[in-house]
Amino acid sequence: MDNQFPYLSAVLLTPALGMLVILFLPHRSTRAVRWVSLASAGLCLGLTLRLYQIYDQGAAGLQFVERVPWVESLGIFWHLGVDGISLPLVLLTSIVFFTGVWTMWELSHRVKEFFALMLLMIVGVYGVFLSLDLFFLFVWYDVSLFPMYPLIAIWGSTRKEYGALKLTLYLLAGSALVLPGILYVYFQSGLFTFDLVQIAQAGLAPDVQYLGFFLFLFGFGVLAGLWPFHTWSPVGHVAAPTAVSMIHAGVLMKLGAYGVLRVGMYLCPQGLVEWSPLFALLATAGIVYGALVGLAQTDLKYVIGYSSVSHMGLVSLGLATMTAGGISGSVFQMFAHGIMTALFFSSVGHVYDRTHTKLIPEMGGMAKVMPRASFFFILAALAGIGVPCLASFWAELLVFINGYRAYPVLGVAAVLGLVVSALFMLRVVQKTFYGERNERHGQAPDMTLAMTLPRAMLAATILLFGLAPRLALDLINTATTPLAGMFR
Amino acid sequence: MTPAAPNDYVLGLALLTMGLPLLAFFLVFFLTRRSVGLSCFISLACSAVPLLCAWSLLLGHWRMPVPLLWEVVWMSSGGATATFGFLLDPLSLLMLTIVTSISFLVQVYSLGYMAGDPGKGKYYAFLSLFAWSMISLVVASGLLQLYIFWELVGLSSYLLIGFWHHKFSASEAGKKAFVMTRLGDLGFFLGIIVILLHLGDLSILGLNQNAALKLGPGLLTASALLIFCGVVGKSAQFPLLTWLPDAMEGPTPVSALLHSATMVAAGVYLVSRIFPFYQASPEALAVVLAIGAVTMLLSSTMAMVARDIKQVWAYSTVSQLGFMLMGLGAGGYFAGVFHLTTHAAFKALLFLCSGVFIHHFGTNDFFVMSRSGARGLKAPMICLSVAGAALSGVWPLAGFFSKESVMGVLAGLSNPLWLVVGLLGAAMTAYYTFRLLFVMWRPCESAEDPLHGGGHGEHAAWAYWVMVLPLIALAVFTVFLGWGGRGLEAFLRWHQEGVAEAHHGWLVWASVLVVASGVGLAWLEFGRAGAAQAGFLSHLPALERLFARRWYLDDLYRLLLDYVVYGFFSRLFTINDRRVVDGGIDGFCRGTAGAGWLLSFLQSGLLQFNLFSMVLVIALVGLYFLLV
Amino acid sequence: MNSLNTYLFMALLLFCIGLLGLLKRRSLIGMLISVELMLNAAGLNFMAFNRFLAPDPAVGQVMVLFIMGIAAAEAAIALSLILALFRKIRSVNVEQARQLKG
Repeated sequence: MDNQFPYLSAVLLTPALGMLVILFLPHRSTRAVRWVSLASAGLCLGLTLRLYQIYDQGAAGLQFVERVPWVESLGIFWHLGVDGISLPLVLLTSIVFFTGVWTMWELSHRVKEFFALMLLMIVGVYGVFLSLDLFFLFVWYDVSLFPMYPLIAIWGSTRKEYGALKLTLYLLAGSALVLPGILYVYFQSGLFTFDLVQIAQAGLAPDVQYLGFFLFLFGFGVLAGLWPFHTWSPVGHVAAPTAVSMIHAGVLMKLGAYGVLRVGMYLCPQGLVEWSPLFALLATAGIVYGALVGLAQTDLKYVIGYSSVSHMGLVSLGLATMTAGGISGSVFQMFAHGIMTALFFSSVGHVYDRTHTKLIPEMGGMAKVMPRASFFFILAALAGIGVPCLASFWAELLVFINGYRAYPVLGVAAVLGLVVSALFMLRVVQKTFYGERNERHGQAPDMTLAMTLPRAMLAATILLFGLAPRLALDLINTATTPLAGMFR
Repeated sequence: MTPAAPNDYVLGLALLTMGLPLLAFFLVFFLTRRSVGLSCFISLACSAVPLLCAWSLLLGHWRMPVPLLWEVVWMSSGGATATFGFLLDPLSLLMLTIVTSISFLVQVYSLGYMAGDPGKGKYYAFLSLFAWSMISLVVASGLLQLYIFWELVGLSSYLLIGFWHHKFSASEAGKKAFVMTRLGDLGFFLGIIVILLHLGDLSILGLNQNAALKLGPGLLTASALLIFCGVVGKSAQFPLLTWLPDAMEGPTPVSALLHSATMVAAGVYLVSRIFPFYQASPEALAVVLAIGAVTMLLSSTMAMVARDIKQVWAYSTVSQLGFMLMGLGAGGYFAGVFHLTTHAAFKALLFLCSGVFIHHFGTNDFFVMSRSGARGLKAPMICLSVAGAALSGVWPLAGFFSKESVMGVLAGLSNPLWLVVGLLGAAMTAYYTFRLLFVMWRPCESAEDPLHGGGHGEHAAWAYWVMVLPLIALAVFTVFLGWGGRGLEAFLRWHQEGVAEAHHGWLVWASVLVVASGVGLAWLEFGRAGAAQAGFLSHLPALERLFARRWYLDDLYRLLLDYVVYGFFSRLFTINDRRVVDGGIDGFCRGTAGAGWLLSFLQSGLLQFNLFSMVLVIALVGLYFLLV
Repeated sequence: MNSLNTYLFMALLLFCIGLLGLLKRRSLIGMLISVELMLNAAGLNFMAFNRFLAPDPAVGQVMVLFIMGIAAAEAAIALSLILALFRKIRSVNVEQARQLKG
């Protein structure tokens, strides 16, 4: 595999290149800015699909590895690679990135800056998913976080400065735990390398794993919306503009869970064994709590924000089970939830753009006014409830089975959360979309065909992976089965 | 019994049956929804072919020696495997035939019933979705596949009940149906997990053959009861029975298809599907019996006071499902399934007939219907009477035979209480059915305005006949199905002579007597010339209110939901989130900002003051190092 | 006379004068001049150590050249800052520039 085309660097650098091009474009040529963003997103999507196609499931493990020394004296390498865990997430990023750019086509306020920042954020996201070097992973992690502040504070709505500030502070506090964790592992491993694979192979002392996992769990867990460090997420989602919400809830929150998985669990498997009861408890609390709080919300985006808390709880619970099935379910849930939330936010974004409200009591009967937007929202809601043949069902199934296996009481509580989430999703659907035609927003136009397409792409992904879960799960299993063996 | 693999011909037929409705759903929903004619055509075609396939499968395997099994791995991860495939044995073939037949007839009927509705295309898409999920449920080879499609029929039920979602009551009923069945499914799901973890095998054949040996009695009963929770939800048994009457908000053909003949019967079907598994646990069967009995009595009382024709049939559906479960719970596998079969025919017929009246007169109140001249519609009236009589168990209609076999099983139990309950239920069934029939036959000349506007009185003749033709087909089944009982029993029991359910000669007379008394009471109050058309319950207002309010079950749920879920947990957690979690963080941030404000007093803004303090500190540090 | 200590005392004197000036002068120009004095004190130190102690005589001289270069750059930047400040508050008195007061 030596002379192979460096796919991963290409994926990682395409949005960076796009950003540079955008920075050199004049302010007024907004069309060019959009097309450049869309082109780089499309290129990434194409490359990712190609990757997905040629990844060798039989061989499994890390593939397309690129390893170039960066600062050799400190043990920093430009080390990229994908396996069955990161590849679906890279695919998720590409899909959400592409549809997100398309969704923001009609943006007119400071277009150039918006897309430049968005591309920068995406570079960071790809970087985290692809890097196998702790140093780079951390750098990319922060690169993906910091554009959130201007993106929300400038283009957002509803208490945007507050939301942006809270979100940024929370996430930086999280990474303030991650950095000591990384340095701790770096020094304690005795290898003086940031190479994740090398450290994992060498293994760490149990007490190092214990403290290290704690730091990674809570550091990355903040971004994963781990209860009780979740309140930034609804507030931030509500304030953020549509595409940012999509990328944020769809992809960025997965970075947290991915960090716990890739850094925490790979490096400190014994730490997970020690901490797993607490982890599972917090995860289950998040599932039930998120659903119950969502029940009382009146703002559409808050509702989705809390449903994200609930669904990310499922991801955490899956990880805490320490079983192959649970972790597979968890990774698949990251993927499925990412697509689903992106669809949620993109349809709510449309409703908000046209009616200038996202308060549920002011709506009702929107299905007659905007049939397309309503269809996509309802589909996403059904996926969120866990209706079979939609992608998240399989993930929830696996998480619940293994959650029950590992922690019977918590498993039952989590399944109960499912009923509550059905209640609150259907309540929102009923109050917002059903009912007599709403005359107040009667003139609001529905999506145009061009704006329907990105949503349709997301919807089709949900359906495709729901009907054929093996497309993703077989791949994920190749990585999680060996991983689960580490927790003996 | 080791299953055999199907040959290519059978495989093709079965896959066609399972696949076409899904194809129809996607085509209609995403492409042809706007052009109504094409949508109807696609949907009907994709429902007619499975019908033919199902019948040919049934007839082709009438004397099948071993079940046919075909499956592929749908999803597999960490020891949990979901398969997708089919298991064809007598029970699934029978149910498949019922489902496809009624589904096809209802689709034909809907051509007339939904004529002119702007959402007709979408309606047919949902019907196809339902057909697909129900067919796949019926032939499911494993419990997980069954559960998946169990949820999907729930989804189609939600979509179809809320089809006219501009009506608040409709969307509310859909939500209620979904959430209540979901609550039951929770148990089902946990049951599946328990079986998966302890038995490791979710295939129906494996479950039926090995579960009793491999699971301990405690686990066996626990998992059987958990699975039964799902049955309680889906088949609207006590205490989750109130969603079904509300589900009548959907279009009437939907009520006929989903909420009487097929979907709600899925619960009963599930119990019969894994009947050997249930038989291994007498405790679980006792619970099934008791729940069935309670449900049957409760819902019959509710039906006695209802004035809405669909509500009456809804309650009666609940009670008949309870009756089937009683049969199964008493150990009568064939009795339960037989009643399921005949019930599908006559209850679908009842609903479809009522649909004609509702469509024609634009009201659901059968007192009003009758005054508006329901008798004028000859064919539906005859069919309604036939079906009603079958429901009450009048000889020689289908219901008589199937009820008789259930009664036979109940009589075989050591405790005579169950038989008494069964007979009481039969009497009440006869009473409320004939109450409705007598009212329809004999319009009461009251002072109220006889004509009720809003119907489709002048609808086209073709629509009327399109609706009546399926009625006639179903009526034929209702009349003759009862005679096929023996053949069906032999088929379902794999032609094993053996435990033939005991037949008690006196029982036939007892039940005839009971039915006759019910009919007689109804005649006295509603049927005879000059009857006041007021039931005896109108003299007992407290009881009547109790029945009309559904034994206050709904109020109880409302209370629980409003005060416990919304009022307590949700509110408490929301306050906690705003005040404690978020407030704590905000407070911490404010504290930081405050500390910064305090420290800022050190900043005089005088450059040289800053420099001086810097030098001073350096000097002090230097001094420290010099001295130490 | 020609010993290390003489030069070190000279440098110390220079540095203290610079420091005193930095802390006492209210004019920004004066402060800048004082900083230059302090830099020169450092340079003198380097030269002295280089002359008497270092085996390689080039190192200290290179450092001094650096310091001179930096001092020149620093003077340029500081003067431009002072100029900008002067445009704003019409004064070079440091007591007038108290915008950073907390």
